[in-house]
Parts: sequence; C-alpha cells; structure tokens
Amino acid sequence: MEKFSYINPARLEQVPGLLKDDWQSKVIAGGTDLLGEMKDYIESPKRLINLKSIPGLDQISADDGGLTIGAMATLTDITEHSEIQKNYTALAEAAGVVASPQIRNVGTLGGNLCQRPRCWYYRDPDTDCLKKGGNMCYALSGLNKYNAIFGGGPNYIVHPSDTAPALVALGAEVTILGAGGQRTIPLENFFILPTVANPYRENILEPNEIITQIHLPKPIANTTSFYIKLRERSSFDFALVSIAGVFQTQGKKCQDLSLILGGVAPAPWRSNEAEQVLRGQVISDDLGERAGKAAVKNADPMSDNAYKVTLTQNLVKRAAVMAVS
Amino acid sequence: MSRKVHVQTQINGENVEFLCEPRQSMLEVLRNELDLTGAKEGCNNGNCGACTIIVEGRPVNSCCMLGVEAEGKEIQTIEGVATPEGLHPLQQKFLEHAALQCGICTPGFIMNAKVLLETNPNPTEEEVRFWLAGNLCRCTGYDKIIRAVLDTTETTGVSTNG
Amino acid sequence: MADGNGYKVVGTRPIRHDGVDKVTGRAKYGADLNFPDMLFGKILRSPHAHAKIVSIDVSRALAHPGVKDIVTSKDLPILSENILAEDKVFYKGHAIVGLAAVDVHTAEEALSLIDIEYEVLPAVTDVAKAIREDSVVLHQSLTTNTLGEKTGKPTNISSHVRHQNGDVEAGFAEADVVVERTFTTQTVHQGYIEPITATAKYNPDGELTVWTSTQGAFNVRQQVAGILDCPASKVRVVPLEIGGGFGGKTTVYVAPVAALLAMRTGQIVKVTMTRDEVFEGTGPAPATLIRLKMGATKDGRITAADTDLFYEGGAYPGSAVGAGANCMFAAYKIPNLMIDGFDVVVNKPSSHAYRAPGAPNSSFAAECVIDEICQKLDLDPLEFRMINGAKEGDRNPIGPRHGKIGYLETVEAAQTHDHYQVEVGNGKLRGRGVASGYWGNGAGRSSVNLTVNQDGTIMLLEGSTDIGGTRASIAMQAAEVLGIAAEDVRPAVVDTNSIGETGVTGGSRTTHATGLVAIRAAESVIEQMKEKLADHWEVNLNQVDFADGTFLNSDNQISFKEAARICSPVVGSVTESTTGAGGAFGTHVVDVEVDEDTGKVEVLRYTAVQDVGTAIHPSYAEGQIQGGAVQGIGWALSEEYVYDQKGQMVNASFLDYRMPTSYDTPMVDTVMVEVPNPGHPFGVRGVGEVPLVPPLAAIANAVSRAIGVRMTHLPMNPGSVLKALNKI
Repeated sequence: MEKFSYINPARLEQVPGLLKDDWQSKVIAGGTDLLGEMKDYIESPKRLINLKSIPGLDQISADDGGLTIGAMATLTDITEHSEIQKNYTALAEAAGVVASPQIRNVGTLGGNLCQRPRCWYYRDPDTDCLKKGGNMCYALSGLNKYNAIFGGGPNYIVHPSDTAPALVALGAEVTILGAGGQRTIPLENFFILPTVANPYRENILEPNEIITQIHLPKPIANTTSFYIKLRERSSFDFALVSIAGVFQTQGKKCQDLSLILGGVAPAPWRSNEAEQVLRGQVISDDLGERAGKAAVKNADPMSDNAYKVTLTQNLVKRAAVMAVS
Repeated sequence: MSRKVHVQTQINGENVEFLCEPRQSMLEVLRNELDLTGAKEGCNNGNCGACTIIVEGRPVNSCCMLGVEAEGKEIQTIEGVATPEGLHPLQQKFLEHAALQCGICTPGFIMNAKVLLETNPNPTEEEVRFWLAGNLCRCTGYDKIIRAVLDTTETTGVSTNG
Repeated sequence: MADGNGYKVVGTRPIRHDGVDKVTGRAKYGADLNFPDMLFGKILRSPHAHAKIVSIDVSRALAHPGVKDIVTSKDLPILSENILAEDKVFYKGHAIVGLAAVDVHTAEEALSLIDIEYEVLPAVTDVAKAIREDSVVLHQSLTTNTLGEKTGKPTNISSHVRHQNGDVEAGFAEADVVVERTFTTQTVHQGYIEPITATAKYNPDGELTVWTSTQGAFNVRQQVAGILDCPASKVRVVPLEIGGGFGGKTTVYVAPVAALLAMRTGQIVKVTMTRDEVFEGTGPAPATLIRLKMGATKDGRITAADTDLFYEGGAYPGSAVGAGANCMFAAYKIPNLMIDGFDVVVNKPSSHAYRAPGAPNSSFAAECVIDEICQKLDLDPLEFRMINGAKEGDRNPIGPRHGKIGYLETVEAAQTHDHYQVEVGNGKLRGRGVASGYWGNGAGRSSVNLTVNQDGTIMLLEGSTDIGGTRASIAMQAAEVLGIAAEDVRPAVVDTNSIGETGVTGGSRTTHATGLVAIRAAESVIEQMKEKLADHWEVNLNQVDFADGTFLNSDNQISFKEAARICSPVVGSVTESTTGAGGAFGTHVVDVEVDEDTGKVEVLRYTAVQDVGTAIHPSYAEGQIQGGAVQGIGWALSEEYVYDQKGQMVNASFLDYRMPTSYDTPMVDTVMVEVPNPGHPFGVRGVGEVPLVPPLAAIANAVSRAIGVRMTHLPMNPGSVLKALNKI
C-alpha cells in the first residue's frame, strides 16, 4: 500500500473541498472495499477523508415522506432495522446477505452502492485493463464466467452491490453533496453503463462528490418486496445473479412491479421485458416462465457465462411465482 | 504527509496509546506494534476472519480497519477474553468439544461467537452457521465448532428462554 | 476404564494440553515472534507463467531508504530453483528476488523498484495440452523416463510408470458390463489458514536459528542447511505452533531466503507470505486427467480395469501419481489390471502433498466408474463393495498383500447406519452417493524424551509438530503405559537441538510412529524405575513388577507417583525408525439436493465411516475425519485454481478461491470402526489422510444420481451442473 494522509473532517460541508477534484483524494467509509484496492495498488489515493468522523451520517429515520437512511449507516444497522425489515424487506434482505457479519458491521450503505467491480482482471494488480485506463477489456476474449450478460461494452463488469438492486426496485432516491451543494436524483439514474468515453466509473459521482443519504418513498399498500441472491458458496460470496422484486398485488394479480437484477450487468439492471409480461396480469407458473424467457431475450452472453442466462431466466420465474404465493 | 499518527484507544479495558502510519492496519498495529498476536493474519483482506476483534461491541476484521481508526474506540481482543478467574465459557466449550485442531482460526471464531451469544443468546444451528460464515476453518469441518457454540448457549445461563 | 477396551487413558477425551494457550490467543504461531531489530523480508515473484529472465537490476531497490539487503539465486550457495529462480521462471508466482527492509511496507515498496527484463515464453497450464506432441516444452533437459527407459526426447512427461497384472483384454471379454469414462480434477490448494512464514537469526559464530511453522522441523533443517551449504548441526530449527498444513508445510519456501538475508545483514529477518503468494507460490495438489475403463460380471464381480493417470507435477517433476496409482484400487480384488501413470510438468507452481496426496484424484475416477457399473447392474453400491472388497490376505492389485485391515467393516457399518436406511427423499433432485478410499499410512523416524519429575508427572519432549492434537494423542499413549493420567504427562514440541531426529507430521504417521516411540520411552522409564526400586527395596530386579500403574514386589506396593519420588531423576529417551503402519479405509455416504433452476448443490447429510485402528483421543480422530470430509466438499463443489489464457491464476484469494464456510456444510456424522493395527501396541492406524479420499466421488455419485447425468469433471459448481442438465 502506498503512503497516504488521513483526514478527519468535523463537518460534512468540508468534504467536497477536501476532496478537490483530481481523484487523488478519496472518502473512506467502512473501508472494506477501498482498503483492499489500496493493498493491491488498484487505487492509491494520496489522501483519505474519513467520513466516520462526521456525526449523524449514519442515522436512519422514518418520516411522513418515507424513510431516510444516512450513507454511513452500516449494513448491519440496516438489516436489523425493524421498519426496514417490515416495509422495505428487499433492502433488509439484501443488506443481510452481503459478505460476512464482520464486513456488514463496518460496511456502509454508501460504500456498498459505490463499491468497485470484482472482475478478476480489474482486481489483478498486474493487468492494465480498460477500467483502469488500459486499452482493452480482457474479459471479452478471456475469462468471463462472472461477467456481464446485459449492458456490456466496452467493458463487461457486473455491478457487485446487493443493496443497489433492492434500493432501485424500491424506488429510492439518492442525495449527493458536491462543491455546488446538494442534489437529489432517482437512484436508478445514479448508476451508469460504461461508454467508450467513460469506461472507468459505475456511477455519476464527480471526484469531489459523495452520497450523503438515501430516501425511500412510503410503502404502497399490498406491496411485498424481497431479494434473492444466487451464489456459489451459500454465504460470504458475491452474486452470480440476484433479483430484487417489488410487487403490488391483489390476490394473484400483479398490479405493478419492479424487477431489478444484480450480478448481470455493469449497473443494476431493470428487466423491462419481464415487468411488461407480468404487469397487470394474474401470475401463474406459466406466466412466470414467460417472464423469465422475456427477461433474457436480449441477453448477450460471452464464452463462459451462458449459464447466467439460465440462472436469470429461472430466477425471474421464481421471483414472480414467489410474489403471489 | 504521512508521518506517524498518535492514537489513543482502549484495548481490553486498558487505555493504550500508540504511533502508527495511516497505512498500517489495526491488525498490523496489534501484532507488530503492541505485540498482541492473538489476532491472526490469514488473508489480510477480510476473507477469512482470523483477525476478528470486537470494536464498540461488534466483531470486525482488524485487517480491514486502519490503526488510526482505533482512536477513541473500545476494543476487545482475544487476549482480553479470559479473566484471572478463568476461561470464558466459549473458550471452555471449545476445549471440551475439541473444536480446534491447529488453532489458528480459534481466536477469530471465539471473538465472533462471543458477540453472537451476547446479541442472540439462544441461536439455532442455522443462525450459528450463518453468523460464523465469515470465519474460515480448514481443519475441523466446522462440526465441533458449531457444537461448542451451541453447547455454550445451553450452559452459560445467558439464555433468554431460561 | 474407557469404553470397555481395557485401557484407562486410550479412548478417553481429555482436554488437550496446548488447548488453553490456543483459545486465549497466547500460543505463538509462525508469524507471532517479534524482535526489536527485526527486518521484514519480501519476495519478488514472476508475473509471467513462463519466461526467460534476461536481466535483473536491483540498484533502485537497494537505494530505497530502509532497504537493507537484496538476494537472487546467484547468492544461494547451492542453487535451488524453486526457492529463487535461476534464468527461467516456470509459473506465475515463481520466486526470483528476496529483500529485507526495516518494515513490511518499505519492503513492499522496494519490490516495485526491482527491474527485471523478461523474454516471455508461451505457457501451458493444462495437462491435456502439455502431453501433446506439439506442446510448449518447459525443460529442454527433461526426457520421459518410460518404464525405466529414457526416451531422449525433450517432453513435458517426466515419467511413465506401469502396473500390470493378469490379462486385461481377457478380463473385459469376461465382463457383462464395461464402463469407460474420462475424468478431470482441478488444481486445489491445501488452504491452511496460516500463510508460510519463517524468521531467521544468524550469529557471528555461525549458528543459524530458524523459527518457523512447519510439519517437519528436521526437514527444514536439512533443506536450509543444504541450500546454504552449511552443516545441519549449525542450524537450529524452532517449530512454532502451526496453523494448518495438510501436507503443504512439509517443504521450505521462504526459510532459506530469510536465513540468507539474516546471514548477510546480521539482523533477524522475518519473511511471511501474503495469501496470494501462498496460492501462487506454494505447491498445490495436482490437477489430473484420468481415463478409466472397468468391467464387471452381472453378478457384480470386477473382472478388469485399465486406466491412464496423468498428474500435473507443476513446474518440476514430482506429482503424486505413484500414490494415486497405489491407492486407486486398494479396496478391491481386481484380477486383471493395467495402470499407466504419467507425471507431467506444466506452468503451474510445483505441486506438493495435500492430504493423501494423489489418492483423491484417482479414487474419484475409480469410485465413480464403480457407481456407474452398479447403476447399470442395478446393484446396491455398498453390496457391490462387499462382493469385491479386500480383506486380510488379499492383494492390493498393485502392491503387497493386505495385513489386518478393516475395509469391509467400514462398508458394513455404512450399510447398517441409519443414514443408509432412510430414504434420501423425493420431490426434488436428490441423490445419495457412496464411495470408499484408502491410504497406506506412514511410520518412520520419531524421537521422544520422557523425564520423570519428583511429583510423578512427566515431561514429554517430542519432535513432532502438533498440527491437530498430537501432543494429546502421544502424551496419552505414554500415560497409558505409565498408568498415570493424561494430564500428568506434559508434552512439549521442541527444537532440533533438543530432541532426536523426527520425520514430518504427515502421511498420517504421527500418532502411530511418535506414539510408538513414546510407548518405548515409557517402557524404558519403567525398566529404569524397576532397577532403582530393586536397589531401594534391596531385592533382585526380577522380583519387581509393574502393573496397572503400580510397582510391587512381595512386600511393597507403590503407585507410580510414589515411585517417582524415590526414583527421579529418570529419563527415558528413544529414537527409532518405526514400521508397522497399518493402511486404512473409509467409506462415505452423502445425500445432496440439486436445485434444477440454479445448478447449486447442497449437501444435506454426510456420514463418514473409517477404520481408525484404535482411536487414542476419539474427539481428535473424529475431527480429522470431519475436516477431511469438508475439504472434500470444497474440492468437489467449489474450489479451483482458475487460469487465464496467459497461464496466470486469476483467483488467488480466499474470496475467489471458494473454500466451504460453516454455512455451506452440514454436521459430519463420523463412525469410527476399530480394527486394531497389529503393528502398533494399542492398534493405532493413521487417521488424517483417508477422509479426503472418498468425498469427491461420493459427492459426484450423489449428484449424478440426483440429476441422472454422470458427473466426471470437478468442481460441480452451478455453471457446470446446469451444463450437465443441458440447461445452458
């Protein structure tokens, strides 16, 4: 790990100024992802700005408009929060299956949303891949078992976050603080797919910006939500494919829904195709099957990850059937 | 720019001060600066749990925490678990159940399991297995570890179902 | 008396002597020693799988503040290519340069300042490709030693051995069913949690001390002295507590480099690997390619087997193909047999021992083909094993006749176990698999020194490092002989200057061999005490008896403790090259459920039956079996070295190399069958290796039966199971 200095700001407003805009400074929250990157020389910031020193950023509070979660709330705080368990189940479930208890105890919501991809080539100190400023994505012609089947190109990472699909499905908004002040946008618009011009980042944050909080709207009646994560190990593993489902139902009829996939694309991936099949319909096994097929209609697997298409299809079906059973 | 930082903290009930570089992990500080070598380095990346310590009542991987982040915190390490009166019930049960072979993962398991039982005094086998999944053991196959933890819940009197 | 076996200590479950230190964090493991002026060493490793080293320039690193010394292979008195590469690197992670600096971060910084020019060569990391005529060749000097003859042509196949008996073609002609399959197993690591580490001190008088974590301190002494070209008597190796080994710590990696740096700097130097260095720079178990054809009559009698075993030696020759061949059919009577074994070099780390080295791979093939034969013949797989299974006097198809063994007893115990009696369940893709396995077990050199204290307790010094409870199992054997409690024997693992030569803690030899020597030492103590008591009582020696912990003659009867007060000091010291290891068998039964939507395999229930001879400390014998079974679950379902097209391992972390967690595994029910080994006074058989032999096949058989498709490649992860289900 390279040397760096460690700064404890007292107030939130100081952070954008401390970050400057040269990517040489980074905020550290839980640190479980960032420190790993620094140990492997994937990131070598000169300054770390510690957000843990700022009081109040970890608050979770319910109000008339819904629920507000500070970016520094830990994943353990979230998964154990009764209001979240009850009304935002998908988020509680997603936060509860991240990594291990030790990591959930320090890992924060903001950090989980901003964590970097797990692609082997990105994580290899000796590989200068496209995401790190090199000129090719090695997954395309190399090993891509865990890479994207949707939305890939010019790189093919998958977004590793568990909470992101859940929050997007739940209609969350994110508040961002920068030098010019705060702004709040739908979380779905926070994540970006790679482009030729910008293959480096997974979200819209500028170098001097941070997430300060997440806002969830009030739950709608007759709505259930859940998060299902498929992984090779039964615990302490990233998703091969995951799905966050929010279903507003009446009996077996699905009035409205949100289906967001994780582990399949460089950003949380809304399956518009599956949503269209299910919306307004009485859900049956057969319809679930059709939704699954629709979900993967446009999948574009590579040499080693076609199994993810099958997983996705089956998981969408499972989610649909589960929502009404 | 990266001179050593003075850190004041509390470890196992004692006030402790140390100097460290910002890039030194808490695990490195414990082991190399304070000679508290009970926390082990298995992976240095949060993937094995051998370095588990308790910070502010919660188990964390000390390899994923910076030494400077100990400032003002209350920390417990394996060295502080037994008392002059004797072993902690978990330690005793690990011995009785032969829940260790090589023993390198044992401090991490005990620290993590200790918090489990403090927060959930009567866990099911499923809950114990899920909670301890952040700690790798390569010798025992986990069977005797799980039994030791479950047996502790039945004998320590901390059970809420009493 | 314990369990009615006539023993007082053997078979009981005392608290292990080193237990309190280990649950309180006080036990000192390999990396736990700190000294005030200690330097930290780091190793620069090859980023390429195969390359010529054109030049090495360390000048920038040497100028880096805090760097004290840098060494390359040129500085090694005796070249050892796997310690520091000479002019070629043969795998990613191959060590090239060692350096010492004031702290670990400075040392790491200095690594990036070393300039090495490589000429990158094409690499081969797959045994199937490495054996082809057109393959990249690693070592121009390597020619196949085929059936004792040198071929003279450069190749990656370092040796070809053949075992043959009977007439295979005639055997197949006699068969009603013949199954032929090709199997592959992947490279897997021992996965010990404690990384490789060594700390060295060199004094101006030429005395070198190495503190390390090892399965064999005397091996380390021998290897370090050999590489540094100094007398072994000048090297003292202090074995610290060892955080797992499973065969992986029976050789040296960083110890010679730490020692060399200590010699040159005059300071104490500690070198500890990171986890990725452990994966990439130490010897994993070999990947294998195995073809097996087997035939049987319709009444379930094996008529013939014909197999080719290709084992990856890694960068250098020396895979465990021989042991693989030896164990493959040891459980069976096979009249006609042909085994061709090939040791093949590839651009991977030099393969090394991992628990029953070689046997899990070959047994995976044998036990899966047997299962398929059973399916074709509609025979119960355990019944099939009762028909074909070996017993005392039968010949290991490629080896000597079996002595007293308990194979059939393990099969019978599995058959009658509740697990095998209940249905595996239905409604889902569930299956039950069984498989057996064998390991010959080891004996060899061990040394024990017993000192009788005034209070009747015993200090027991031994050279066997304690990797999983052997202090207890050895102390208990001495206690049994002496008629005292296990707790009254205080075992200590000591350095190479303090005890006679002792082989590695490995090959499942320690409780047998070191235990046997402890018994001899205890007998020596008793003889000496009898002599002293004869003097004391003024009687002839032959009038003094010892029985049940009591010394007696016609007028006197005193306990061991009372006798100790009269007789101490008494020292019994024995070093012996032991024999009499008894081979052992296990039979595992496993139930799995396969999620047909996701391909995920869940292990529902696991029962491991094993002939342990006599369990000295049953808890630790059970623990060995449980640990081996779970390593097998990892090997079968989730662990693998993944290599990219350049021959580089891409998943060298505990996150991406997936060892089972507590949440992936069920309880492992152990059944210990006790068929005492006549080669040991208490009947001990080695326990540690056997339990890793059956699981790969047992789980594969369970999955195959669950999904109706034969699984022949490991690991059986969601992707590969979905593929087998034809769902991709």
